[in-house]
Amino acid sequence: MMQPIESLKSLKQINFDYYSSAHMAHQQGKFIAYVNAFTPVELAYAMNMIPIYPENHAAIIGARRQTVEVAQAAENMGYSMDLCAYARCDIGSIKTGVSPTWGLPKPDLIVISNCQCGTLAKWFEVISRIYDAPMVLIDIPHSGHGERDAAAEKYVRAQLEDLVGVMESITGRPLDRDALRETITLSKEASDLWTRILETGAATPSPITVFDQFIAMAPIVSQRGTQVAVDFYNKLLTELEQRVAQGKGAIENERFRLFWDNLPIWPELRRLSMFLESRGISLVTSLYTWAWANLAVGLEDPLGDWTTQYLYKANMHIRRRIDDYVELAMKYNLDGFLYHSNRSCKFVSQDIPEVRRAVTERTGIPGLIIEADHNDPRLYSPETLENHIDGFLDLLSTQKKAG
Amino acid sequence: MTMQDPWKPFRETLKEPLEKARAWKNRTGGKVVGHLVPDVPEEIIHAAGALPVALEGTGVQVTRAQAHIPGYTCNNAMAALELGLRGDLEVLDAMVIPYLCDTTRNLFHIWDLCFPDMNNEFLRLPKRIGFPGAEAYLRSEFTRFMEAMGNLTGSKVGESKLIESLKLYNASRTRLRDAYARHGRQPSVWSAERVQMLIGASLRAPREDHLGWMEDLPWDNNASESLESRVPLYVRGKVWDPPEILGLLDSLGFQVVKDEIATGFRGIAHDAPLGIDPINALVQRHLAAATYPGYHIKPSELVERFVDRVRESNARSVLFLNPKFCEAAAFDVPDFQEGLKKAGIPSLVLETSARGAPVEQIRVRLEAFREMIAGDLP
Repeated sequence: MMQPIESLKSLKQINFDYYSSAHMAHQQGKFIAYVNAFTPVELAYAMNMIPIYPENHAAIIGARRQTVEVAQAAENMGYSMDLCAYARCDIGSIKTGVSPTWGLPKPDLIVISNCQCGTLAKWFEVISRIYDAPMVLIDIPHSGHGERDAAAEKYVRAQLEDLVGVMESITGRPLDRDALRETITLSKEASDLWTRILETGAATPSPITVFDQFIAMAPIVSQRGTQVAVDFYNKLLTELEQRVAQGKGAIENERFRLFWDNLPIWPELRRLSMFLESRGISLVTSLYTWAWANLAVGLEDPLGDWTTQYLYKANMHIRRRIDDYVELAMKYNLDGFLYHSNRSCKFVSQDIPEVRRAVTERTGIPGLIIEADHNDPRLYSPETLENHIDGFLDLLSTQKKAG
Repeated sequence: MTMQDPWKPFRETLKEPLEKARAWKNRTGGKVVGHLVPDVPEEIIHAAGALPVALEGTGVQVTRAQAHIPGYTCNNAMAALELGLRGDLEVLDAMVIPYLCDTTRNLFHIWDLCFPDMNNEFLRLPKRIGFPGAEAYLRSEFTRFMEAMGNLTGSKVGESKLIESLKLYNASRTRLRDAYARHGRQPSVWSAERVQMLIGASLRAPREDHLGWMEDLPWDNNASESLESRVPLYVRGKVWDPPEILGLLDSLGFQVVKDEIATGFRGIAHDAPLGIDPINALVQRHLAAATYPGYHIKPSELVERFVDRVRESNARSVLFLNPKFCEAAAFDVPDFQEGLKKAGIPSLVLETSARGAPVEQIRVRLEAFREMIAGDLP
């Protein structure tokens, strides 16, 4: 049986407050900036801008199982079903007005860094045209073999400096360095707490599953740089540390400890978590939730730190991804890997066959690739996923018995 | 004495580009550098003494690659991998994959693991066209690429060598543009299929040879044909996929007045200016090209400029050849179509790939499109 985490209950209010304040932004003299994962949100908060993540909005649509209604509206506008379902959901939501957060407020600025993916850049271009809103692309070159690239560092830094100028021009005031120091300090605090939260998953039994992490990650994504995120993660960490001390797991009977690769399957979050729990599977860690760990920048040269972070940390190379998985396998004492080959996220998925092969070769730990979609239930069958996972469990059981 | 078919060397090059490259290699002892399209500066590879050979996925049936990259990947990436996995690319000494989109980035990673013994180059093309830093970055990247090619061949690429290559490629492009213009006057002789074959062959054959072959074409026949029944068409896409599409367009009475296909007019539209630093010249040429889907300019201008280009071409219709699973292209198209609609220009989207719609189905859709437009013609 699942053991619910009490601290997560406060998220409803946190999310409600966040979207409410975003809708009230203009009345309160604030601005709205659409952003993605690897953009300097601390800068946005310091510039009196509320960062909004269209991806998060789409994920909520998926989790509430509203995808088909809104995605079809986008498809009727000509957006192919092969495109990212997050994008189709957001574009369709704008078209239909169907939204779990009463819509998203109109952006004053759109900021996107393409080290997360190029899809976001194209999707945000569409939104920029819909709202006639200015867009700043932070273009992050990718060095093929993962080597350092001095010219790229100069290029990225110049773009961040340009972004500051654009924000100053939109808000009509210069960057307040003290405010930036404050948001960076809060962001570091939240990011450090988030890292420690993820690390609790290394305990046996794990006090938190990846499903809980998916739900808990909203503030680290959208509100890092605020006191809200710090308070929430402090509370969550305390509860998890108590669980570890008491030997209390997120599920009662932890038989297998697995890694989850890629984004969640939002429409099946509940079904899949119950299915895995019934099999004694605890998903103890995931690269996706780790993406927001150790994101802090220093106070001395934040633009320089963001530059290197986007170029060399967020901008992942396959060999480092494999190294990271091998390291996580040891740290979390993993029995297996579940790789979500996600039709909506080609960026994270296309490498998976090579990653699985290399990780299994190096660790001897098996991995299962399941093909699904992070938001569109028309593109997979949950029954098939469960059958595949059951087959994989047979293999893991045999391995465990063989010692 | 019989006259040799002047189109033959082009046709043969396209039929067996890798065999021809092997013959060149055996003859000269030079290095062969494969590359994906678009926007790899062939002039730099040439100046290093190597033969650039473009690879594309049209017509390749994918089997082995599916074990290495998911099936929801565009055919250009999957087919390149397939060619490598089935051993067809053994002739290559190096492979260049330009960073155009997420798929080319992932393909490079996979490629590097699958073919670790090949010299694999990832060409880091900046996406933010128009931002001053992007131009500086591209200059630096082309310089790095030039050094890499020099290291590969052991022949340092100096300024004078590069300028000579620029001149050769400019001359070749000029001649190819002449051929393209001929299609506009004499489509029965200079059909779209033939003209695109000339451009396609230029991306695979030694450019000096290609330029020589071009001189043997029937330039002397200057008679203009009646174009009344032809429907002027503008095409946007990556490659001519499926390969039969050009023959279909010719036979159905379309006239390709301009295209933005990477292996088509987009690649020959602009020359590298002479009289300036040759790396800068290549940067200028790159920036002058029509915005490729993976690149970024101000979003509203992207649509406006596209519609303007179509208007300037005097096309009466637009065909989008969208590679199946190409997100970059698919995001642009609905707004492009909306812009065209406002301008009164009809358009058709074909999602293409070896795993896409069969040719007969494409024919039916093109026929219907042609009939719909013909009704509007004066």
